[in-house]
Amino acid sequence: MTIRYKTIKEITSMISKKEISNKEVIQEVYKLIDENKHLNAFITLNKEDSIKKAEDLDNSSSNLSLAGVPIAQKDLFCTKGLRTTCGSNILNNFIPPYSATVIKNLESAGCISVGKTNMDEFAMGSSNETSFFGNVQNPWGQNLVPGGSSGGSASAVAAGIVPAASGTDTGGSIRQPASLCGITGLKPTYGRISRWGMIAFASSLDQAGPMARTAEDCAIMLNTMCSHDEKDTTSLDNKIPDFEENLNTSISGKKIGIVKDLDLSSLDKKVIAVYENSLNEFVSMGAELVDIKLPNLSLSVPTYYVVAPAECSSNLSRFDGVKFGRRSENPKDLEQLYIKTRSEGFGDEVKRRILIGSYVLSAGYYDAYYKKAQQVRRLIKDDFDDAFKKVDVIMTPTTRGPAFKMGSKGSDPIQMYLEDLFTISANLAGLPAMSIPNGNIDNKPIGLQIIGNFLDEGTILNFAHMFQKETNWHNYTPDGVKE
Amino acid sequence: MDNKTVKTICYLSRLSIDGEKEQKIVTDLDNIIEFVDQLNNVNTSEVKPLTNPLEKTAKTRTDKVTAENLKEEFLEIAPSSNEDYFLVPRVVE
Repeated sequence: MTIRYKTIKEITSMISKKEISNKEVIQEVYKLIDENKHLNAFITLNKEDSIKKAEDLDNSSSNLSLAGVPIAQKDLFCTKGLRTTCGSNILNNFIPPYSATVIKNLESAGCISVGKTNMDEFAMGSSNETSFFGNVQNPWGQNLVPGGSSGGSASAVAAGIVPAASGTDTGGSIRQPASLCGITGLKPTYGRISRWGMIAFASSLDQAGPMARTAEDCAIMLNTMCSHDEKDTTSLDNKIPDFEENLNTSISGKKIGIVKDLDLSSLDKKVIAVYENSLNEFVSMGAELVDIKLPNLSLSVPTYYVVAPAECSSNLSRFDGVKFGRRSENPKDLEQLYIKTRSEGFGDEVKRRILIGSYVLSAGYYDAYYKKAQQVRRLIKDDFDDAFKKVDVIMTPTTRGPAFKMGSKGSDPIQMYLEDLFTISANLAGLPAMSIPNGNIDNKPIGLQIIGNFLDEGTILNFAHMFQKETNWHNYTPDGVKE
Repeated sequence: MDNKTVKTICYLSRLSIDGEKEQKIVTDLDNIIEFVDQLNNVNTSEVKPLTNPLEKTAKTRTDKVTAENLKEEFLEIAPSSNEDYFLVPRVVE
């Protein structure tokens, strides 16, 4: 009896039928982590505490929804008493005195946080090549990137080490690695999940979400991750539905928006074929394809690369070596303490984004860049509002192609920024969006993006689940197709 | 974007860039700014900026203490502290 490549649903069933004990589940997780060390998916493990929790569960059974389920937590969430680095040298020694709300929610539902996953430094990257703790490998091939920034979470789930992981998504950081690793990942509506205890990158874009093997497991995770939180002023106070409720609703007659302005000409023909096959699959289930216009979509990436760095330069000013984290040794005065601590503690990509942010926010440039980007952001959101008057969901490829080789994007940062071409607009507009595996190209997985209307995670989960009932792509693993 | 501007924004950001990396940073920033300059081709004269997708204003609440006092825990994880304060190099001689 193994838990490798099993879903949350399968593991909870195995535990409740006593086919496996909670302790055996956790012991196997650590065995799998050890056997897959080369993936470098984890920064910090939580072994002792996890085994103790599993033993406690074995001694007193629990009917909580995630009881005994091993979950890997992105190292961007503060975890009380467990080192939290955000992939950065500046937080190398940071042990938070409190846990993020979303971690508390997941653990209150009985999950076992087995460890903290590797990630691009401060979530800034699309290939997991900017972590202070080294690159993460994609289990689908040697020296393939897992995507980023939630690359460690995606790699751990894709390798079948854990059934699910937490991630965060500021411009595609859940969906892009989900696509490149062949798993299912969901970024909820901005405000659905509390950002309290999440280390902030760009506060108007950041959102936590689940990464798992199936849409059904994402729904189970989302049910526990969402809550209204007074500690986060942008936390929504709307009713939180049961996300499992509509998974099996027929999609017959529902409308899928196809973006006519999307220039797919730069994509590999195989990527377009995979995308079109999936659309046909939905049509065969009774859905209807509707042409929509998102005329400002091509401005998403430049808009993002003003807004996100501006917010990051402000958020990351808190890392100064005074109250927590790493401090430079023997600074000659306070000014040098700040400068040396930050210069030694941050990597090149983080510095680059702080500098862009400081530039676009500086006197004389604020209106030309920051205000301008916020105006274009409204145009992008208005386009989506118009489109959703006609359709239930919008579909695009998640990524421009399958996983690429490490180092292959060269040293021009813009080439890497364009990786998030399809995913960024959902963050700018605050909309829920997910990626589901929908094909394999040269034995590497790739994903389909489903974008939903504001607060309508239920519909995208419904489309994703119905697709996964009819197709087998989510069962593909690096070791072959799961039975 | 020139070396002088980069020096200014480095200071504003309290960052120093190693000599060998300086030229690469100047080039990268120049390319990124040129890339985002395409936003200037869009007419936004009548468009209100969108700062946050929710467009909510911060909620107010009754002014009563809700946070726990974690003074000891916070001072304990500081790089340098005594029993009451975070310590930094002397500012006033």
